[in-house]
Amino acid sequence: MAIATQGTASNYLQRAPSPSGLADVVELILDKGLVIDAYVRIAVIGIELITIDARIVIASVDTYLRFAEQVNRLDLTQTEAAGLKELRDGGGNGDGKAKGMAEGAKDALSGDGDRKQERAERG
Amino acid sequence: MVAVESPITGSADASTATALYLYGVTWAEATRPQPGAGVHGESVDAVAYREVAGLTSTIESTKVPAKRRDLLRHAEVLGTALEHGTVLPLRFGVVFENATALVEDLLLPRYAELVQLLGRFEGRVELSVKAFFREEAILAEIVQANPRIARLREATRDTSDGSTYPLRVELGERVAGQLQERTLRDRQALLDRLSRLALDVQVDQQPIEHQVLGASFLVERERVAAFDDALNELAQQQAERMHFKYLGPLAPHSFVGLNAEGR
Repeated sequence: MAIATQGTASNYLQRAPSPSGLADVVELILDKGLVIDAYVRIAVIGIELITIDARIVIASVDTYLRFAEQVNRLDLTQTEAAGLKELRDGGGNGDGKAKGMAEGAKDALSGDGDRKQERAERG
Repeated sequence: MVAVESPITGSADASTATALYLYGVTWAEATRPQPGAGVHGESVDAVAYREVAGLTSTIESTKVPAKRRDLLRHAEVLGTALEHGTVLPLRFGVVFENATALVEDLLLPRYAELVQLLGRFEGRVELSVKAFFREEAILAEIVQANPRIARLREATRDTSDGSTYPLRVELGERVAGQLQERTLRDRQALLDRLSRLALDVQVDQQPIEHQVLGASFLVERERVAAFDDALNELAQQQAERMHFKYLGPLAPHSFVGLNAEGR
């Protein structure tokens, strides 16, 4: 495939019409939107549990050790041959990307071990 | 031009202890009933004042707990309303005593401001974009681009004893630094491409692991297709190292604000 036409590009990434996961909806309607402070707000329960959805990056030795461990776990034999494209380099063509995308979506939902719990509500 | 009378629905007086939940404010002529679509499964009705209207549900009391489903319904009610016209979305959980209170405390005193805001967002929608690095791909990229990191990795692989501790800390710190650098660089590149198609942008500055970009774009409805194309092109180019989440069209949650109200 030499050229990605506009037609195929448009179908590549689906735009969801409304948030389906709790994390997204919380971000959208608990953090944003008009606030009218003078009036009663109804009680929101159980939300604290899921607002900590994503891991905030904190510079610490623990974080560094975790990154070191992740890097050490990498299997570079597959990626070395492929040669990854960086954004500023203009990327590449669309060969085989659909497969990567589908796998990525799966990754995003399951995450790795210790993140599973934090992300559970995303599904 | 529709001049709708002040609400008559206030007849359910305070003694019944019901309350009026408010989702958002729209043009009175754009309101449509949404039976059973609201919080707690209640119907969504309109309380109009002159040309504006609040989208509301009568709920049993202010003490009712909100659940996951209610949060989703709040968003869905606004999404449906957006199909019929411009909507100013409220944050979740705002309740008025009754329809009279809604008119007297919000729609009437803030009328000019609400009309002006509705005008400002006419034909404009919010699109939410998130981009995340694929962990393995970005880490591999970092190792391959940095000889020092690659050497440290070789030196510390298959070890976890105290002797390599300083090397592992150095490795992790360098990886974290590279990750940060690539995040900022790629975030800017994505913003450069997408901002051209938007009237306004709100970027989430919270450093979330592997999140390259979290941003809301205010876009003319006519340009949503162009925005789709631009984002799809980026997603396709970056598929090996990033994945995206794309949401919209939404009411302008990230861009509305009343004077003297914190956002």
